[in-house]
Amino acid sequence: MDLSRLDRRVIFVLMGLAVIIPILFNITTDVEITRDTLDIYNEIEDLESGEFVMISFDFEASSYPEMYPLALATLNHLFKKNLKVIGLALFSEGTAIGYTLLSEVAGRYGKQYGADYIYLGFRPQYVSAILGMGESIIKVFPEDYLKRPVEEYSEFSGLSGYDDLPLVVSIADGSMPIHWADYANARYQQKVAVACAAVMVTAFKPYFESGQLIGPAAGIKGAAEYEKLLKQRGIAHRRLFAQSTTHVFIIVMVIVANLAAFRGRRR
Amino acid sequence: MKGLIFTFIIWERLPVLIGTVICIAIFFIVTYLVKKKGIGKIRKVAGLAAVDEAIGRATEMGKPVLFTPGWGGDIQRPTTIAALNILNLVAEKTAEYNCELIFPTHDPVIMSAAEETIQNAYIHTGHPDQFRPDNVYYTTTSQFGYAAAVDGAITRINPATVMLLGTFEGEALILAETANLVGAMQIAGTDSTIQLAFFLVACDYTLIGEELFAASGYLSKDEKIISSIKAQDYMKIIIVILLLAGAVLATFHIDTLKEAIM
Amino acid sequence: MKTRLPIAICFIFGIFTLIQYFTSDPTMALIYAEILDWMQIIFVFTLLVGVVTIFKIHSIKIARQQNNWPYSLLTIIGIAVMAILGFTRGTDWGSPFLWIFMNIQVPMQSTMFALLAFYVASAAYRGFRFRNKEAAVLLITAIIVMLGRVPLGHQISDFIPRVAEWIIDNPSVAAKRGILIGIGLGSITTALRVILGVERSYVGGK
Repeated sequence: MDLSRLDRRVIFVLMGLAVIIPILFNITTDVEITRDTLDIYNEIEDLESGEFVMISFDFEASSYPEMYPLALATLNHLFKKNLKVIGLALFSEGTAIGYTLLSEVAGRYGKQYGADYIYLGFRPQYVSAILGMGESIIKVFPEDYLKRPVEEYSEFSGLSGYDDLPLVVSIADGSMPIHWADYANARYQQKVAVACAAVMVTAFKPYFESGQLIGPAAGIKGAAEYEKLLKQRGIAHRRLFAQSTTHVFIIVMVIVANLAAFRGRRR
Repeated sequence: MKGLIFTFIIWERLPVLIGTVICIAIFFIVTYLVKKKGIGKIRKVAGLAAVDEAIGRATEMGKPVLFTPGWGGDIQRPTTIAALNILNLVAEKTAEYNCELIFPTHDPVIMSAAEETIQNAYIHTGHPDQFRPDNVYYTTTSQFGYAAAVDGAITRINPATVMLLGTFEGEALILAETANLVGAMQIAGTDSTIQLAFFLVACDYTLIGEELFAASGYLSKDEKIISSIKAQDYMKIIIVILLLAGAVLATFHIDTLKEAIM
Repeated sequence: MKTRLPIAICFIFGIFTLIQYFTSDPTMALIYAEILDWMQIIFVFTLLVGVVTIFKIHSIKIARQQNNWPYSLLTIIGIAVMAILGFTRGTDWGSPFLWIFMNIQVPMQSTMFALLAFYVASAAYRGFRFRNKEAAVLLITAIIVMLGRVPLGHQISDFIPRVAEWIIDNPSVAAKRGILIGIGLGSITTALRVILGVERSYVGGK
């Protein structure tokens, strides 16, 4: 068997086992907290109780397994701090997911819809939505997800634009935070914190380095770090070891392939 | 009058205004110079030089060319416009070589623009009868629904060449690997720095960064597009000078330039 | 007229939004806010185009009983069912719409996304080969970063995550900034060409 030319189906099966076994046996691991996750945690921690925070569920159904722990940890923090949460989605699929998550976590903290949090729903054309909210949030979202006028909610009826929002949190699996940086931060100097898929970190790094975005809490590891900061040990911790094994598996495969190719060339 | 101008302009955005004016000025000056002195040269870009070869390969094998602009962008993105430019040239070539061109997309507006582009290309090359509107179709707005649809198309249709040019996100590697699985030649290009890494590993040819924007000028040798590529080069020189100046000044903790720009 | 009118509209609105960015004039701000609303309205109509196109394509497939036509029937049924359920029973917590979305669409989409893990493994296996100096650098960097981004790297040695962090924060960001600057400039010139009517591919022109 030429190990430098393995059938990809063999690789797929081994990869599957590298993921399934740690999850089946519920093997967990500890995690060190990084500066990036600490940045977003501190930003939220520094807010006063009762201040508004906008959380944008900028991800699709496909990345739900990765984004769910991140969104959960962030929402737990927001509700723990008794902040007034304004949820929305700039992707159509994120709409239902965002509402489900928000309702689920808010329920655990005994928060009331309309008093402690609202969900604005989805707006297409994210560029015009982000820019429009800078002028007036209620003009972009006159009604919430439940088809009620936002002005009916006394706690949220006074919202104007980004001036009323000390922070926007973007939970994103794609490049939506770049649009938040390009439009909300560049034009309105709005602070934007990011919790994103692990693969997107390097794309956003220039924005974090320059201070245009805060964070990021990235992927399962970022979610586990956030859980640790919140003194919880949740779903991210349970999935983290599986991530480690898959990384190790890929490294082992690459080394084996190179050694096999090197041996073949010597022959 | 002075007071009116003073309140009319947002002075915090003055550095951006100056930068914009400089960019526009360079654009017009270079366009004028190119018109007067003739077209400059664009260095060889392997991915673009391979377009002819790719379409020729598809014609010889009797298989279609599949071109898709990715899920990440809509019609207002410059990358999508650049991709449509390349599509125009690819459509002309496929019309000349009597090769089928398939264009699945996630956006109905891109679909309409692409349909017009391809149809005009076929008319322009004198083969209007070869144009098949069914080959340009909308799949779904959902990212992985789109990826599944294009993957399905690649596995069923078995194209000889797959062109992945536009704004891609997570679906990039899935499309590239599936194209690799069916043995298609892949030419890819995107403005997403993350997906570029995946394309570089998985595809035969990759256009990096602004090579995608230079592609239409490279392929068409259009004077106006080449002049804008030259203008980009001059803008880059200014940026490099600013970067070097900024690095030197920052090393000696002199913040004058930074405060002026920021 | 077919191409001239859209190009003229593009020019007018392009110049307007460019000037509006630098001014604090309340009238221009009002017009700008109106334009943003119109963008959303127009987008919704384009969604309509998409839905009509899907129905058209799949109806033809079903009528002609082309290859895989049952999947086309499933597509149309799916669209119709979700739309009817959404309009009649709402999209609130506990609604059938939300149930179908969370229990059918989310797992299906997640499955497609999960394919990436397997494809990354096979692409890495194929692509990370010690062919030359550049490939060797890529290989070693990939190994360090892959180890550094999981807790296992920290457990092996504190040095690994620190090096991984340095690689991501320095050479990677530097390269990305270079590419971003190039892409930014390409976007500027493409946008200028679109506004000035030089670029006509979006209206199907050359």
